[in-house]
Amino acid sequence: MKKMRVAIAGLTACSGCQLALLNCEDELPELFEKFAFHFFPMACSPALLEGEYDAALVEGCLSMPHEKELLLELRKRSVHLIALGTCAVWGGVAALRNGEDREWLRQQVYGHNPVASETFEPLPLHRVVKVDAAVTGCPPEKEELLRLLAGLTRGALPVGIDYPVCTECRMRENLCLLTERDMFCLGLLTLGGCGARCPSLGVPCEGCRGPVPEANLAEALEIYSEKGFGRITVLDRLRRFCPEWKL
Amino acid sequence: MAPQYIASHNLAALLDRLRRYGELHGPVRGDDEVVRFAAIAPGTLPDLSALRTLLPPKKYLLHPQETILNYTAAAGYQMPAEEVRPLILFGVHPCDLAGINYLDRVFLGDAPDPLYAARRSALTLIGISCTPDEFCSCHISPSPLNALTDLSLQSLADGYAISSGSPRGDELLEGVKEILEERDIAVPEDTRRFFGQVAAEPLRQELDATLPDWQTLADACLGCGACSICCPTCYCFDVLEFGGLDGRSAVRLRQWDNCLLKCHAEVAGGMSFQKNRAERFRYRYRHKFRGFGPLQGIPSCVGCGRCRVVCPAGLDLRPLAERLDEGRHEQ
Amino acid sequence: MNNNVPFPAVVSAIRPLTVETSLITLDTDPHHPVAASFLPGQFLELSLPGVGEFPVSYCGFPSVDGSIELCIRHVGHVTTPLQTAAPGDGVGVRGPFGHGFPLSAYSGLDLLLIAGGLGMAPLRSLLLALLKQRGLCGRLTLLYGARETGALLFLDELLEMQKRGVIELQLTVDRPGYCLNGPPDCRVAMLPDLMDQLDVDPGRTCAAICGPPVVYPLLVSGLRLLGLTDNRIHLSLERRMKCGVGRCGHCAVGTRLCCADGPVFSLAELAGTEGAIV
Repeated sequence: MKKMRVAIAGLTACSGCQLALLNCEDELPELFEKFAFHFFPMACSPALLEGEYDAALVEGCLSMPHEKELLLELRKRSVHLIALGTCAVWGGVAALRNGEDREWLRQQVYGHNPVASETFEPLPLHRVVKVDAAVTGCPPEKEELLRLLAGLTRGALPVGIDYPVCTECRMRENLCLLTERDMFCLGLLTLGGCGARCPSLGVPCEGCRGPVPEANLAEALEIYSEKGFGRITVLDRLRRFCPEWKL
Repeated sequence: MAPQYIASHNLAALLDRLRRYGELHGPVRGDDEVVRFAAIAPGTLPDLSALRTLLPPKKYLLHPQETILNYTAAAGYQMPAEEVRPLILFGVHPCDLAGINYLDRVFLGDAPDPLYAARRSALTLIGISCTPDEFCSCHISPSPLNALTDLSLQSLADGYAISSGSPRGDELLEGVKEILEERDIAVPEDTRRFFGQVAAEPLRQELDATLPDWQTLADACLGCGACSICCPTCYCFDVLEFGGLDGRSAVRLRQWDNCLLKCHAEVAGGMSFQKNRAERFRYRYRHKFRGFGPLQGIPSCVGCGRCRVVCPAGLDLRPLAERLDEGRHEQ
Repeated sequence: MNNNVPFPAVVSAIRPLTVETSLITLDTDPHHPVAASFLPGQFLELSLPGVGEFPVSYCGFPSVDGSIELCIRHVGHVTTPLQTAAPGDGVGVRGPFGHGFPLSAYSGLDLLLIAGGLGMAPLRSLLLALLKQRGLCGRLTLLYGARETGALLFLDELLEMQKRGVIELQLTVDRPGYCLNGPPDCRVAMLPDLMDQLDVDPGRTCAAICGPPVVYPLLVSGLRLLGLTDNRIHLSLERRMKCGVGRCGHCAVGTRLCCADGPVFSLAELAGTEGAIV
């Protein structure tokens, strides 16, 4: 069977999502049988965009002009463009600035470095191109990543998840950290699919997978406020991974 | 025959003898204080003081996520070969027994579900009496479902009256008889009395969608899924299929689902028949209190109170359901 | 019979009907043609291994050799990859499920079929069954509407039936589209508008409807205006039947299950049911 031509690119991000793929060590031989990674600057050289791709997996958010160019180029050349990880899907941590003025912060950190002056407010991919599918998570679950790739070989895109972290947390019969322990757990508002990884270890959900569809923020804020977490605290925490959370 | 009696101090001995018949599970309190149905370690006693476990015993019959089919290019789709070992569930309350009775009606009806049927036939149920708390409603709304057991225990001051409800129970009683006594005791009324006492009511009256209550519920619902996951009779499932990287294999899974979530009623192309959460609450009400398909007329709420205990917003569909049910009697 | 495990089937032909719709013919075991023995209006669960399963109406005539015709719009999670299926590809089938159109109730009566878009698929199956037993019904009238002329399915077949005088056919499209060679006498109007010029005898007419949910309310009121009673109007409802055997809980209409009690219901059965016809 003909191998699928794949491009894997990283924009503004920590490369952890690309690493999540490289960490699928047991499956790598099988992946190389099915996929030809023609463009994967983090793992292979040379890194030249050439021809067309069956799929492009893009990690990171957009914050620089050359990233926008690369993304548009990948979109043009690819049948499917897939947002890989929370930064690509929601914007992610690059947009964190604690409400401070962007210009002021830039001056503080980079002074008058001209490269830094080209940056713009970080954007998730879907603000600039059509995204065919998304694998969220910081980093994405290995299983989800492999299922995405297996689906691509069959021409299928993943089915979206519509339940929050709480659903899986309850399925695992965990103690509820929010209602029973008054801990600041964001499971109620966060997209599931991680198997409630953190709450199962007694660690509150940090919201790394971004908002669940139809998140009921108004009611959730009431509940958090009863537990002593004000709306600013909640929104700041939510915006850590998804800067576009709005009231 | 005088009632059979077992003294409290003989409970450990009873459990040890029951282990001969299968793996023994019951309510066990974890380090995190959560009470779950789990294996009762030898030398320990189950927590019989807890009124409800977090998940009901349905988790033994329908796993939260389970493989229902395996696919290989050579053999096509096949059911998974599951080794089912005898399981004894000790200390099950009447509501959970009635819940299993409802699941039986769904999954053992026409063309039984093979996975469910295999696990169910390997399951021995040992019930125990309980006293309802403020979250329970078994004693408020009687149910047509039966709280069937193989053996059942009723709490007395210093022990339990024990009786059999099936040939399997007779066999167990026979096997543990050396630690039983025949005692002329006044056995209190069985708490299972709340179940199996009313007839199912066929009902066609439509719901009043204009009641503001639906929207009130919808506005407060967080869509977390806890109510249905923790419900002993919620059985809706989603079906997922994942192909292997080899291109020749696949698994098909079913996973507990919740009718209040967005995808539940979506059809191809993303169109939904329950666009908003208020509509979905009515769907939930119909399923819980009126029943779908062959189970129309059989309310499936067994009054265990779990949905109210676990809802982060403290929602409760029952008061509205009771009002609607009153309307149904007037009609 | 175990309805939980898909039987193997093989794609024997795939013919594009429109840009996004194909007619797929499957071969199942001719010695065991369970899935091919159906009533028009019933549905099948079709599995694409490694991708998933979806419910789909039968579109052809029940066969004795195990072949099955399905009309598939390639818009969903499973149907999209199915568009590139090739003859010889293996799939899985479970079925038939549900209740179809009440053929025996049509005996001696005129039948008005109304199809919108992909709704033509199950009605084609009904039409083929009725033509096979030509004496069963009186007049056969088909009103069929699609978005544009290029989206009209089975047009050649339908025009041929019309030419042979076995059906009375009225076509309409929502907009003319770019297809220059549209069928003769095709109107540009919404489907319910076709009922304006209809000449039926309400005392001896049944209606069978299948189309997108949005047209049902107008079609139903149109049929009532013509004088048809609710127990003579049958509609096929689309829901997400995931298991097909009444267990997954996704396809309830009121307290009835689309998979077990439907997908074809009489309008009388659905009276007052919230969400039944949008």
